Amino acid sequence: MSTLHTEEMTLNMGPQHPSTHGVLRFVVRADGEVMREAIPDVGYLHRSIEKIAEKVGYHGFMPYTDRVDYVCAMFTNQGWGMACEKLAHIEVPRRGEYCRVIAAEFNRIASHLLSVGAMAMDIGAVTPFTHAIREREMINDLIEELCGARLTFNYMRIGGVAWDLPPGWREKALAYLDHFDPILEEYNALISWNKIYVERLANVGVITPADAINYNLVGPNLRACGIKWDIRKDIPYSAYPDFEFEVPIGDGHWGKLGDSMDRYVVRIREMAQSAIILRQALAKIPPGPVLAKVARNFKPPAGECQIRIESGRGDMGWYLVSDGTGYPWRVHVRTGSFAAMGIIQKLSAGLMIADLVTLIASLDVIAPEIDR
Amino acid sequence: MSAVSEYAQNIKDTVFTIFEGMAVTASHFMRKPYTVQYPDRMPVRVQDTLPFRYRGILEVDLEICTGCLACERACPIDCIVIVVDKDPQTRQMLLSQFDIDIAKCMYCGLCSEPCPTGSIHHTTEFEGADYSLESLIRRFVKDPVIAYKPKKGPETDPRIAPILNRGMSYLDQWAQPGGEKPAEEEPA
Amino acid sequence: METLIHNVIASGAFGHNASPTLVAAIVIFVMSAVVFLGVAFPFAGIVSWAERRVWARIQSRVGPNRVGPQGFLQWLADGVKNVCKEDIIPDEADAPLFKLAPYLVILAFILPWAVMPFSSSLILADMNVGILYMTSVTALTVVGVLMAGWASNDKWSLIGGIRSAAQIVSYEIPAGLSIFPVVMMTGTLSMQGIIRGQGWAPQHWFLFANPFTFVAANILYISALAEGNRTPFDLPEAESELVAGFATEYSGMRYLFFFMAEWGNLFIIGAIITTLFLGGWQFPHVSNNVVVMNILQLISFNVKVLFLVFFSMWIRATLPRVRIDQLMTVCWKYFVPIAFVNMIGTAVWVAIWPDGNAAMGYIMFAAGIALTVVFVQRVIYYLKRSRMEVYFNPTI
Repeated sequence: MSTLHTEEMTLNMGPQHPSTHGVLRFVVRADGEVMREAIPDVGYLHRSIEKIAEKVGYHGFMPYTDRVDYVCAMFTNQGWGMACEKLAHIEVPRRGEYCRVIAAEFNRIASHLLSVGAMAMDIGAVTPFTHAIREREMINDLIEELCGARLTFNYMRIGGVAWDLPPGWREKALAYLDHFDPILEEYNALISWNKIYVERLANVGVITPADAINYNLVGPNLRACGIKWDIRKDIPYSAYPDFEFEVPIGDGHWGKLGDSMDRYVVRIREMAQSAIILRQALAKIPPGPVLAKVARNFKPPAGECQIRIESGRGDMGWYLVSDGTGYPWRVHVRTGSFAAMGIIQKLSAGLMIADLVTLIASLDVIAPEIDR
Repeated sequence: MSAVSEYAQNIKDTVFTIFEGMAVTASHFMRKPYTVQYPDRMPVRVQDTLPFRYRGILEVDLEICTGCLACERACPIDCIVIVVDKDPQTRQMLLSQFDIDIAKCMYCGLCSEPCPTGSIHHTTEFEGADYSLESLIRRFVKDPVIAYKPKKGPETDPRIAPILNRGMSYLDQWAQPGGEKPAEEEPA
Repeated sequence: METLIHNVIASGAFGHNASPTLVAAIVIFVMSAVVFLGVAFPFAGIVSWAERRVWARIQSRVGPNRVGPQGFLQWLADGVKNVCKEDIIPDEADAPLFKLAPYLVILAFILPWAVMPFSSSLILADMNVGILYMTSVTALTVVGVLMAGWASNDKWSLIGGIRSAAQIVSYEIPAGLSIFPVVMMTGTLSMQGIIRGQGWAPQHWFLFANPFTFVAANILYISALAEGNRTPFDLPEAESELVAGFATEYSGMRYLFFFMAEWGNLFIIGAIITTLFLGGWQFPHVSNNVVVMNILQLISFNVKVLFLVFFSMWIRATLPRVRIDQLMTVCWKYFVPIAFVNMIGTAVWVAIWPDGNAAMGYIMFAAGIALTVVFVQRVIYYLKRSRMEVYFNPTI
């Protein structure tokens, strides 16, 4: 049997595909079901957003930041706002910071719901996806009352937020959180602890802690390898020092440390922690203004600044260079999905094709964030 | 023996977790579906259920437009085109063109924020699909109109007062910087 | 069937010297057409509508409800739409094999209806190897699927076709092994014989006869799901990996044929389990009128089979799919050994109690009721925990 002639197949998991999260392309060299290598090909969603910033100015760029990562639009808004504020030394009022945290944590829950739902659908279970989307729709209803939009929020401004909490919104938000905690438990009973699901995810795509740091992974991908690094705790910003919450990390309970199941469970636990932060924020929110005074034609002093925030995908970095005029000189966003694409090629050797889908889903890759 | 116990444990885990999963899905048969059966099986029009802050298609109340061009400057995608000149005879500001290209508009709300009277505002209308691209440029000026001059005290004209009240209440939804009235326009 | 043909010839409808074989052929042809075209194909279509409605309620949605009352004509609309589509055959594909493959799959779905025991006298052909015939013709799908995968000239289709072939062929073995316990208990392979060996009450069903047949029933059901390419074993058509697996290059009615076969197979799976383990068409003897009894038995059979069809849809909505190597592990390392144990256990049981053991029937039935009660308790727990209002209206 050793003289049987076999050949490698080169497959194209093309830009149009039901499972890759956005428009991604993989050139897969496979020997039957087992892959030798999967080479990612990115760039299908490049929209020159960073260049557009140089044309529209500081205030006008805020809606464009929604489109950098439309699933985590609040975080990108916050990043841009914080970059401009750091450069111009503007201080956001306390209530504004609390509003930012509330909006951001609701967005984190919504983003993780989409991530775990899409992952379950890629594995084959169709109902957890619709349940997650149903919960996400309820959050979208809340945010629609807050800022008027369901996906591209444009909620924050340089110096704070654009709208204060409407009357009656706090009670609705608390009612939603009371509804959400048992739903998360039910979701876990439906799919997270399901033996078939666990078998599909455990020991797939194991990332060692050293690899995670070398390949620049951030967010839940990094924390699943056991490394406790969360910008909200380690480089605190905004109102996060006021809240008590834990940072879940992976522990290799179902397989090796750093496998897909760890990444999935870290996201589930982060949702529960976000609910805890939200309850504290909604209880302790101080009265006062939510927006600082910023000139209409905003001209920060010349210089550069860099800020980091913990978005749904991880450590999102914003780098801004200003030349003293009303238009930025250079804007750059560093997103977690871009780094995650780099590690797929290394991990793909020896995986089966079905596992490639699991791996991409567990790294929570959102295509517009890769290409901007 | 650990292989046998692992074997038995696998079978037990599979059976128990699938049992729980089936119980969860069975409970969903008894719940109301979350679907909104738009557009024909709804008790109320969707547009009437949306919040006041909803950022739908833009609309301009020309009666209270002051011709200040703040919205045109603020728009990040240049979808608003306004032509306003001073009429040499009557010495009044005349609006001769106010076009909003709703195909380009990204519904961000940056134009309604600086409007002094709330004349340009988002409505709850979202059904804008049409057959021709030309119809997506909403032209709000049919014949040239005189721009509105805001009065120092309350508005006395009974035709304009309700429109102005609605515009100002729309503006009140937005956060005021520093908790006070919005800052005056600084010279460019 | 023979008496029917004799009656038709004796009534003189075909003239007095018509040959019996010709009349027999015509009668069988007409009856088969009625069953195949009138029952099997519409059922496959209606099941697609039912599956979408059942799935939708599980997923907090509504499902198709606009085309016709409660969306009942949706499957007709889908059929008409697919017939009107352009027939695309890829340039480099093997055209004769490409066109032949859906027909083989449909053949594998249609042929078992010849031995479907609808009631005590409504069966097209009461062969004395009924159940063996049924399991062997359902294996024709392998040929069709492999042909589809290869002739599409597409690497993704090929992967889907090979996966499916491996899956169906592997799961034939636990399925066949799980039929043996029942055959041992009744001593016959014919469908009507196996049903007559059971009673109408649940404690007389083979499902509850002894613990070995209970486990055999479960293994048979899961293996039948695997043979029918249903989740959790729907790798060949894994939507998120291979778009549509072996059926990727197909469009229009050819594509729909594969899915009609899959939906129709649900009935076949249900029928096999009902016949072997759930007492078939058995109904308490409430009247001496043959027609009335037959109608009641028909209803009893259909209720049991439709419940199993609903159960298959419910399972498909709940569970994720397994990977190919896990599928093979489950088959060869778990199901085959357990099926052998069942077979030997049942053989010992039949040797000790040749006429069956009524007490064990009652004990197993009580255990089944207890299991159902625990299940209902868990459902109520989840309903209460989620604080969503209890609402039951399937006609929304």
